[in-house]
Amino acid sequence: MSVEENYRFQVNLSGMINILSNHLYSNPKVYLRELLQNGIDAVTARNGLQESGYTGRIVVEVAGSDNNITLTVEDNGVGLTEAEVHEFLAMIGQSSKRGEDFLAKEESFIGRFGIGLLSCFMVSDEIVMITRSAKGGPALEWRGKPDGTYSIRTLEGELSPGTKVYLRCKPGCEIYFEEASLAQWLHYYGALLPYPIILQSGQGERVINDDIPVWIQDPGLARSHRQEVLKLGERLLGEKFRDFIPLMTSEGRTGGIAYVLPQAVNLNAKKSHRVYLKHMLVSEKAENILPDWAFFVKCVVWTDELQPTASRESFYENDKLEEVREQLGESIRSELMRMAEYDPDRLQHIINLHALSMKALAVEDDKFFSIIYRWLPFETTYGNRELDELLKEHQHFYYTLSLDEYRQITHVASAQTMLVVNGGYIYDAELLSRLPLVDERITVERLLPEDVSFSFTDITPEERLQYYEAVKLADATLQPFRCRVQIRRFKPADLPALYTLSKESSDLRTLETAKEASTELLSSVLGNLGANYQATAYATIYLNLDNPVVSRIFTSGHLGMLPTAVEMLYCNALLMGHYPMNRKEIALLNQGIIRFIDWGMDVNHNGGASHE
Amino acid sequence: MSNMNFDGDFDDLMEQAFSLPDGRAKVEVLEQAIQLADAAGDIDQGYEARAELVECGVFNGYPMKALVAFSWQLGQFDKEPERFDEFSLFWSYKWILDQAPSFPDITRPQIDQLLEDMKQRFGQYGYSDRTYYFYKMVTANEMGEVETAAEYMKRIQTMERDDMSDCLACEQNRVVECAVKQGDDEAIIEAAKPIIEGGMSCGEVPHVTITKVLFPLLRLGRQKEADKLQRRGYRLVKGNRDFLLYHGEHIGYLTLTDPIKALEVFEEHITMALDHENPFHVMIFNAYAAKMFQRLAEENLSYQVKLPAEFPHREESGNVVWLGKYFKEQALVAAARFDSRNGNNYYTDFIENL
Repeated sequence: MSVEENYRFQVNLSGMINILSNHLYSNPKVYLRELLQNGIDAVTARNGLQESGYTGRIVVEVAGSDNNITLTVEDNGVGLTEAEVHEFLAMIGQSSKRGEDFLAKEESFIGRFGIGLLSCFMVSDEIVMITRSAKGGPALEWRGKPDGTYSIRTLEGELSPGTKVYLRCKPGCEIYFEEASLAQWLHYYGALLPYPIILQSGQGERVINDDIPVWIQDPGLARSHRQEVLKLGERLLGEKFRDFIPLMTSEGRTGGIAYVLPQAVNLNAKKSHRVYLKHMLVSEKAENILPDWAFFVKCVVWTDELQPTASRESFYENDKLEEVREQLGESIRSELMRMAEYDPDRLQHIINLHALSMKALAVEDDKFFSIIYRWLPFETTYGNRELDELLKEHQHFYYTLSLDEYRQITHVASAQTMLVVNGGYIYDAELLSRLPLVDERITVERLLPEDVSFSFTDITPEERLQYYEAVKLADATLQPFRCRVQIRRFKPADLPALYTLSKESSDLRTLETAKEASTELLSSVLGNLGANYQATAYATIYLNLDNPVVSRIFTSGHLGMLPTAVEMLYCNALLMGHYPMNRKEIALLNQGIIRFIDWGMDVNHNGGASHE
Repeated sequence: MSNMNFDGDFDDLMEQAFSLPDGRAKVEVLEQAIQLADAAGDIDQGYEARAELVECGVFNGYPMKALVAFSWQLGQFDKEPERFDEFSLFWSYKWILDQAPSFPDITRPQIDQLLEDMKQRFGQYGYSDRTYYFYKMVTANEMGEVETAAEYMKRIQTMERDDMSDCLACEQNRVVECAVKQGDDEAIIEAAKPIIEGGMSCGEVPHVTITKVLFPLLRLGRQKEADKLQRRGYRLVKGNRDFLLYHGEHIGYLTLTDPIKALEVFEEHITMALDHENPFHVMIFNAYAAKMFQRLAEENLSYQVKLPAEFPHREESGNVVWLGKYFKEQALVAAARFDSRNGNNYYTDFIENL
């Protein structure tokens, strides 16, 4: 039996660093975040030791110039023992377990240390760290190189506990060591840290983070510190805001401020909230921290309970995040509902700016809908109107399901002063169909394009008799195009015909256009699929007897010209409605034009129509 | 709201479409853009807008619209192959083939011819046959030909992937689906592992994988895991029209574990099922709804089921026995059509044995 031996994979560290810098981190400047994070973790751990009189601090110093720039980051945190140095700096992924990402563990402070430090190789060819553990033992010096080798030696003399990391600027990386940039980035990452970060350089010393405002602990207090809150928003998010909503989960482990965007935003706009995890910025483009409907705010959020992804630039989609997201959403929702009661003008202002966002929430949430529906704007045949205005005179609403259907009838419906709401825009049809659930006075009804004819004036029984033959002939003429002819009187009188198409007949039209253009095989497939429509898919053309031309066609008594005239009205209606015409219809149009030219010439020659 | 534009030009409409989240509103704007392009006789614009409509339709529950738009595109492509990019068109072809078996009106010979047509086209442009065999497998599986699908699956495993291959997560999901059709609980869970635990994912995976694992886990007495997974999966599919079938499967699982919750999911999505374009999805949804109503009828409770205005028999909203029968009959009528096309009894049996 042979002896089985186990070997370890060797990882090429420079390759690994390449991967980190090119794929994991979005920009080399994150080295500073990693160093800061290590310092914070060490201070946090030392805080855990509960020594009396201890206050954490982190000092960053940049020195030298040109090709001899060095940067040091020093903390007075817990420090590392020699065993810990070997364990955490030399073994990447040490704390990995159960297939979870090894950075995803919540509790460990040192677990991430090693990999964070590696990011420094993006800007420096050597990392030197001097550390002494608060648990005792000698001070140590660790030197790491990008080829994966490192050395440790024990230092003589007494050092107070803490860690100091030295970096020497790599050629070409000078921009990552400039004092002004460092100050900006340190603020960017650590603005909310509860103890000082100090930046030293040839230009002197400055404290990066001001005192933390009280409302960070209790976002509810933000309401009474309005200007301060708006100012911080501007500084952190780079936009001037006028309104905000405090955020807080029930356990209080996640809080924040949702700033109301001062301009309307696109539905698909990237949501970029800024999130601080344990006081430290983890992401400025966290998309998943708020519900989808909340795209009208930009947030600063602080939390100590979410798990960052490996790049630490967003969060793992897990139950915790779901819970936090729901609760933050609830903060916004309940604030809006409070506004409806106590501050309706403010709410109205938000709705005016962010109607889409409000509608998105209302679709998901009947209760919210029932509180704000009055202020929601809709497109109607009376113009853009808030429901409130419409409700003064109407309790019954017609709405269309699609933009296309609305477009077909809007002109005619306006002329009849018939109120129709366009349900074609996103969320609107859903909301309109649910209106009766939130206000029992209201009834709604989906309007099909042909329904608009309800408001037309029927022709009299005498007229019906009089035009019987003509209508029958007109109907037969358009039969091959699956279109029925109806005679009515309606406004506007200058409109000769209204062509209406149900969803089914519209789908069939599209299908047949595609069938004509497609390959033999797919045409046969479409043929099978279209067979189901045939029975139902009729369009209707309403001819307007109030229109002088239509009236002449039907009263002239010359039935010989009628089919061509009706065909032309049909083609005209298609063109006006932007309906693509199929081959048969184009042929119809061509023949019709030629025939009318011909007749026109005859008239000029003979001084009168001679066709019977 | 004020930017609503009926008569904007083509570019405006396309821009509007891109600004909308995927769904009905976007589909409509794209249809409008197509109408405009066709009315102007602009082939390039018509092609561009249809390419968007195909993708948006396939992934958001409008497969019929996608199929119609794709047919037009393919016709134009054949007239002037140099004018258009074959890659994205061929990619769409796979989606279309995936959808084709969901329409009982598309005959078997037509499905076979579509597969051969795809094979020949892919070959002409230097893509491998693997995708052809892959979709042989997919369509066979969807038509209830479990053994044939398994044979194709074996064959595919030895062939090299190329640019036309589906993503790894999608392919792994097909392995799960084959195991589901074979009724092998252990194999289903095993095949789903890289997706459920290993983080393989894409736009539709693990959304469509999770429900496949719920029933096996439950049968193996691992309800706790299954419950947790159910919540995760439901979050992913909730409200998306593309996933009607999976809403049905969630209802199916909840029927066994929490029937009242199942009813809530049903009430929230029945509207979607009433005018859905995919008859196969509707059938599965109805089948699980039937099962749920049968289960609810066993309890000595009175119900008032929330049914939307579009439902043709709202007067029966308090009668779960009736609703159970109704949905079962709907499902069985559909199953008979599928089975007659497929030439077997697979879906009728499936529904009877739920």
